[in-house]
Amino acid sequence: MLFSLTTQELMERPDLWEAVHRLRHRIFVEEMGWTDLDRPDGLEIDQFDHEEAEHHLVIRNGELAGYQRMLPTTRAHLLTDVLSDLYEGTPPSGPNVWELTRYAVAPGFRDGKRGVSTVGTELIAGFVEWGLKRGVNQVIIEFEPMWVLRALQLHFLATPLGYQRTYGNQQVVATLLTFTEHTLNVVRQRRNHFLPVLNRGYPGQLGLRQAS
Amino acid sequence: MSMFDRTLEYIDQLQHANTAAAVCERLLGVTSNFGLTALMAGTVPQPGTPRGQQKDHVLLCDWPGEWLERYVARNYVDHDPVVSHMKQLQAPFQWREASQAIVIDKSSDEVMGDAREFKLRDGLAFPLVTLDGQIVMVSLGGESVELSEAEFGMVSLVSTYAVGRAMQLHTMAGKVIDHIELTPRERECLQWAAVGKSEWEISQILGISEHTSEKHLLNAKSKLGAANRVQAVAEAIRRGYIS
Repeated sequence: MLFSLTTQELMERPDLWEAVHRLRHRIFVEEMGWTDLDRPDGLEIDQFDHEEAEHHLVIRNGELAGYQRMLPTTRAHLLTDVLSDLYEGTPPSGPNVWELTRYAVAPGFRDGKRGVSTVGTELIAGFVEWGLKRGVNQVIIEFEPMWVLRALQLHFLATPLGYQRTYGNQQVVATLLTFTEHTLNVVRQRRNHFLPVLNRGYPGQLGLRQAS
Repeated sequence: MSMFDRTLEYIDQLQHANTAAAVCERLLGVTSNFGLTALMAGTVPQPGTPRGQQKDHVLLCDWPGEWLERYVARNYVDHDPVVSHMKQLQAPFQWREASQAIVIDKSSDEVMGDAREFKLRDGLAFPLVTLDGQIVMVSLGGESVELSEAEFGMVSLVSTYAVGRAMQLHTMAGKVIDHIELTPRERECLQWAAVGKSEWEISQILGISEHTSEKHLLNAKSKLGAANRVQAVAEAIRRGYIS
C-alpha cells in the first residue's frame, strides 16, 4: 500500500513524519555516507521538504517499508541547486516533470542481495500511477547507472541529462524517465500485481499490525 | 555538436534499433572510434555451467567467431580474469587492470594470451544488474584502446542503453509469436557452423555443394535477423533450433 502525502499532511501525523525522516537518515547518512546531511537527532531533513513536495510512503504490516519524495521542477530542486554538475545544457522542467529523490527501501524489506524488492517495485508502480493521474509523464532521477538498465527493462523511455559522475564511491547519472500507460502495464506485469498501489487518505497508526 | 549531444544522438539511434544485430552495429559504430571493435554482452553463467548452455546467456555478440568458439569450447569463462574481476566490482574497468589485479594462474594467462591472437589486446568491461538481480557483463575489446576518462564514461553509458535495448527486444520477442521456420538442412548447416566448420567442410560432411551450404547459411542468417554467421549461430542456439 502506497500513500502520497503533501508535507503538510505528513506533518499532521507525527508518527509518519518521524518514521520518514528517521528512515532517510538511516539510509542516506548511515548507509550511503552522505555525511553533509548528518544531524545529531538522527532525522534527515533538507530545504526541499517544502510545502509543494509530495512524500510517497509504502506501508507493510504497520511499518514504513519504502519511501520516495517527489519535487516539482517549477521551482528549485536537487538537480538545479545541489547536483548541477550532473546536467549539460538546460534541464527539463514544467508541470509535467517532477524530480524523484530519496528513493529508499527499509533494510528489512530488501528481498534479494541484488534484485529490486517488491517494496522497490511498488515505489516505481506508485510514482507512475501517481504521475499518470495528475498529468505528470516525466521524472528526473539521479541514480546509479545500473538503474538505467532496470528502467529500460520496465519500458521507460530513458534519456541521460549529463555524464555520470563519481561521488565518494558511488557513480551517479541524472536521467529523465518518460512513461505512459504502457510503462505502467509492464511494471505491473513484472510485479505480477495488477491492482493500483496508490491509496487515498492516511495509513493506520504505525506499529499496529493490521489483520489482513 | 558537443560530445554530449552526440551521445544523446547515439542513444536515440540505439533505442530505435529493432534487432539485436542492429543494436550491435550501432554500438560498435560509436565505440570503434576508440579502438573498441568487438563486443560481447550477456548474463554471466554460474561456474561449471555446461558448455551447451553458455551461449544462452548471450545478449549481444560481435566477437570474432573463432574466438567465441574457442572461449566456449575451452570453458574460458571460468578462468577469464576479466570475468572474475567483474564479479567483484560494480564500476567499469579496463582489461589491463583485471590482469594486473589478480594472481595470474596458468589458465587465466592462457585466456588473455589467446585473446591477443584474435586482436583483442585490451578493452573495457563492466557489470550491470537487472531488475531480478542477474549480472549482465558487458565487454568491449580491440587491438589498441585509447579512451579519456570522459570517453570511458560515455562508452559505458551508451553500452548500458544498448544492453537495455537488447533486453527490451529480448522480452518483446518472447511475447510475440515469432516462430521462425528453419528447414532441416538449414539447421544442419548451422549446427556444423556452430562447431566451427567452414562452408566447404559442411558441404563435404553433408554431401552437398559448397554453394548450396553457403545458400542454406545465408537463408538461415536472414530468417534469424542476424548480421553475420556468428550471430546466426548464437540466435539459433538461443531460440533452441540447434544445441
